[in-house]
Amino acid sequence: MNKIPLLILHAGALQHPMERFAREFRSLFPEVEVRLESAGSRACARKLLGGYQADIIALADPLLFDELLLPHPVQKYYIFATDQIVITHQTGARGSADINPQNWTQILLRDEVSFVRSDENLDPCGYRTLMVWQLAEKHYGVPGLYQQLNSKCTAAYVYPKSLDLGAVLQGREADYAFQYLCTAKQYGLDYVTLPEKINLSNPRWAGLYGHATVEVEGKTPGSKTILIGEPIEFAAAVPLNAPHPKEANEFLQLTLSHTGQRILEECGLVVY
Amino acid sequence: MSERNDVRETELRNLMAGYIDKMVWPTLLLLLVAKPAHGYELIRALHEMDTIEGDLDPATVYRNLRRMEEDDLVSSYWESGAAGPARRLYQLTERGELALHLCVPLVDSRKDSLERFLHNYSAVSTDIGKEKPPNE
Repeated sequence: MNKIPLLILHAGALQHPMERFAREFRSLFPEVEVRLESAGSRACARKLLGGYQADIIALADPLLFDELLLPHPVQKYYIFATDQIVITHQTGARGSADINPQNWTQILLRDEVSFVRSDENLDPCGYRTLMVWQLAEKHYGVPGLYQQLNSKCTAAYVYPKSLDLGAVLQGREADYAFQYLCTAKQYGLDYVTLPEKINLSNPRWAGLYGHATVEVEGKTPGSKTILIGEPIEFAAAVPLNAPHPKEANEFLQLTLSHTGQRILEECGLVVY
Repeated sequence: MSERNDVRETELRNLMAGYIDKMVWPTLLLLLVAKPAHGYELIRALHEMDTIEGDLDPATVYRNLRRMEEDDLVSSYWESGAAGPARRLYQLTERGELALHLCVPLVDSRKDSLERFLHNYSAVSTDIGKEKPPNE
């Protein structure tokens, strides 16, 4: 008997929880074959916007639904978790014995130290990293800090999605990466936490985060959109053109259930 | 029947007594008695109300909400609506409302003990720092 193929298009940062959901779902619905496909969230949204058919889309920024996907091909989405930006590294990375939340900018700007981020046009972690740098400039009172960090992290150090950055660190191709805490935990990386006023984690500081802005490619070719800093959130939806809406809704229910909450928390996310 | 209710009330009072020091549970119950709210709103409101002992990160708030749900003080559901964003909303249960009322004498008692501490301190504070007389 042919199994029903259920395609989950998701942010790279959600790789581990989606694998866990897929296993759980297969045990509940053995007639369904869950297929996972990951990319940067902006890339996922653009793919769907271009007519690609997926049963579930799970993104690392709810604003992408409003900006690109509503009212078609998505009508309703569920905001289910939050996280924070951290600086990840491997044991033995240059400066890692000394780095802390107060001196990380000085360590990263040392000549011999390299760091990577994801692409702001493809991945929310990319524009959130740029926002963190802008907020850090004000928080630490270091004029020009954003420009210094941005100039040092040249195109060769910018990757399509945040999940790629872990492999870069593991391959010792760079010393540090800007990632979500959940990816650091999922891949067993060491990390430096940043102050709440800059790490985009706490709704208490939403007003401060709003001072950071990043320009990215817009909905149509050649257009630009200005994104404003907000606390990090993850969201998921069943697209209107999902090939298997019944099974897709079951999968979404699992994600939002108490079992789903437990899985997400075990994968390092802060769950709503 | 009434005896059974008394036992339940005592159990609930004992449960809440363990959460008076940091004031997270009483404050969340107080915020939710007004209206259902999602975690994002509650985190902001908690800080504005300024009744919590120490700093609270979002992970701690959500963990507390889940514990409160396990103890049947709050329940949660997903916002319904045909379009747009949906979030998990938390609302007070009947047991949560009773817990809030039971908190009041507990908070009052805590306030009394803190005031007694301050009163006793002020009685001796003028002597603190002064040199002790030499031993006879």
